[in-house]
Amino acid sequence: MYGGGYIFDEPNKRPMQDTIDDPVKLAEFEQRIADGHKIEPGDWMPNDYRKQLIRMIEQHAHSEIIGALPEGTWITRAPGFKRKLALIAKVQDEIGHGQLLYNAAQTLGKSREAMINDLLSGKSKYSNVFNYPAETWADVTVIGFLIDAAAIVNQVANAKGSYGPYCRALERICYEESFHLKQGHDAFIELATGTPMQRQMVQDALNRWWQPIMHFFGPPDKTSVHSEKLMKWKVKMASNDDMRNQFLDAYVPKIWELGLTLPDENLKKDEATGKWLFSDPDWDLFMKVINGGGPCNAERLQVRKWAEESGRWIRKALMNPNAARSFPVA
Amino acid sequence: MLNESLDPRVNRLKLGHEGEVVTIVEGENWNAYEVFHQEKRGAHHEHVGSVQAPSAELALVFAKEQFARRKRCVNLWVVRSADILAFDVEDEDMFATNLEKTYRDASGFKVMEKINKFKGKK
Amino acid sequence: MLSQQAIISLLTKMGDDALIIGHRNSEWTGLGPIMEEDIAFSSMAQDKIGHAWALYRVMQEHLGGQDPDQFAFMRAEKEMRSCHFVELPIGEYDFSLMRHFLFDHAEAVRYESLENTAFEPLQPFAKKFKGEIKYHLLHADEWVLQLSRGSEESYARMQQALLHCMPLALGIFETSKAHEQTLIDEKIYPGEQALQARWLDRIYPVLSKAGLNLPGIESFTPVYGGREGYHTAYLQPLLDEMSSVFKLDPTATW
Repeated sequence: MYGGGYIFDEPNKRPMQDTIDDPVKLAEFEQRIADGHKIEPGDWMPNDYRKQLIRMIEQHAHSEIIGALPEGTWITRAPGFKRKLALIAKVQDEIGHGQLLYNAAQTLGKSREAMINDLLSGKSKYSNVFNYPAETWADVTVIGFLIDAAAIVNQVANAKGSYGPYCRALERICYEESFHLKQGHDAFIELATGTPMQRQMVQDALNRWWQPIMHFFGPPDKTSVHSEKLMKWKVKMASNDDMRNQFLDAYVPKIWELGLTLPDENLKKDEATGKWLFSDPDWDLFMKVINGGGPCNAERLQVRKWAEESGRWIRKALMNPNAARSFPVA
Repeated sequence: MLNESLDPRVNRLKLGHEGEVVTIVEGENWNAYEVFHQEKRGAHHEHVGSVQAPSAELALVFAKEQFARRKRCVNLWVVRSADILAFDVEDEDMFATNLEKTYRDASGFKVMEKINKFKGKK
Repeated sequence: MLSQQAIISLLTKMGDDALIIGHRNSEWTGLGPIMEEDIAFSSMAQDKIGHAWALYRVMQEHLGGQDPDQFAFMRAEKEMRSCHFVELPIGEYDFSLMRHFLFDHAEAVRYESLENTAFEPLQPFAKKFKGEIKYHLLHADEWVLQLSRGSEESYARMQQALLHCMPLALGIFETSKAHEQTLIDEKIYPGEQALQARWLDRIYPVLSKAGLNLPGIESFTPVYGGREGYHTAYLQPLLDEMSSVFKLDPTATW
């Protein structure tokens, strides 16, 4: 699912320092990107390009496997065969996306094991939105509809980026996301057009999720650092504000047309500029949740650790210490 | 200590304590195998990605669900990623003159032009 | 005219087994030992739930049965016909894998026997599920083999899981007191005893190739009761959980 529009800084705030790259090779590299060509794993690339891509793809991968948890909350309770199968298939896809993304990141030289360890230790982040609980079935429909929609905005943009393996993974991911969005929208509409109790459920869920959704694309561009070079290198393809606006433009009307409300009285479109206006989300809260203070941060990591720990005997039993390591090639 | 989770599955697990250090070792996710997908009989197998597996047999088992759980598929290949031999991407220039070698290409032979010219002369 | 009650009893226990084991195995989705296996195991859980859905639909269309959602999500525990084996929690992966191996081989021989059943509406499903079950067996056999040959620990775990699972797995073949003979006489299926014998013929070679020790079958006491409506303590909570949203308003569409 969930690229999350926002590349988090690592907790140690490793700066995007300009390591000394060969200026001739750098110029060739930048020309190649400017010409619309893709970069492939064996190509020369600036250190920062490699580092930022690893950081971004890795965070995206973590977001997929952690994102499987809030929705997984309702796997055993999904109402009826159709919803039950669709939800299992969807959560399965998230794991599949994680698999594709970790493998894409591995082509840049960081092993899957190292990435998983950085997730478990908290060194590497994942999308903030998954640190919130899915309290009722309606929350799953809101996640499936709106968080997936937000992720698609981000991922469709990133699929036009410069790194070949990431683009290929995203192409497949976007295809599957369209199923997620559709099944989420369908389940959402079912509640929104259902009994008064169902409508109340979905309204409550919208109220709970609106702020995390507004956080999803990251802080406003004016406070965001280090975007320019990433944009030039086609690592980051769209600005936080642009993506947020694109999302609001496409989906707020779809919510309002059902007679549902959003908990922000300032939310409206400025028809003159085409820009949506809204109350500033609480960015202090956003930072607090990133740094471990959200309602589910601890549980998410503990569950991931449980999964790694309980599967260890299997992975170890079939490890071949004599075999040379083999990494994905493309 | 966690509060009760909203996920009944999670409440059935014996989770470790918060802050527990869990580290996996290099090689624990096994080795990479490239996966090739054949959409229908008669078609080429096309590269679609990779899986991590401890053996070719399990790689194939995994590939089936990771790369062929949707859409049409009639067969898959897996091959150890380490066994793929490829050119360096820098050597792309070896192929650069391909398009100029029109003597290898049907488009390099202007038969109709000659016929028309001959007919025009008559 | 075939005996409808007998056929309903057969399809109900098959559907209930598939629903409950599919529900259990889906609990691993997102929590598996490695991503690739997580995906594979989840697919098979989905297949099982799909089998249950299909069987309930056959009953609805041909035997005057209820709507499948109502039948699956609203039935009382004593009306369920699942065996105890499928009701147990997922435990550790060794248990879940061994259950998958033993259950799926049983399912394979059962569906094979139904390809020519006298109850014709079932025949196309027996054929349709064949390919899916073939993959489930490929997956199960490969894991049993590899883990039995993996480490000392993994061998010991698989051996222990086998011994733990066998009495429960034999419970799959509990006969229906009321309907068994009718089903055999009317050539609906060959009966549980015959299926159990075929099942043993299938699992022995894999277990012996894996070097796992399966004591004589007479040394196990099969765990029966599920087919008559007597269940483990795990089933009622599972049903409560599975239907908790549906029951908020069973007349609503979800």
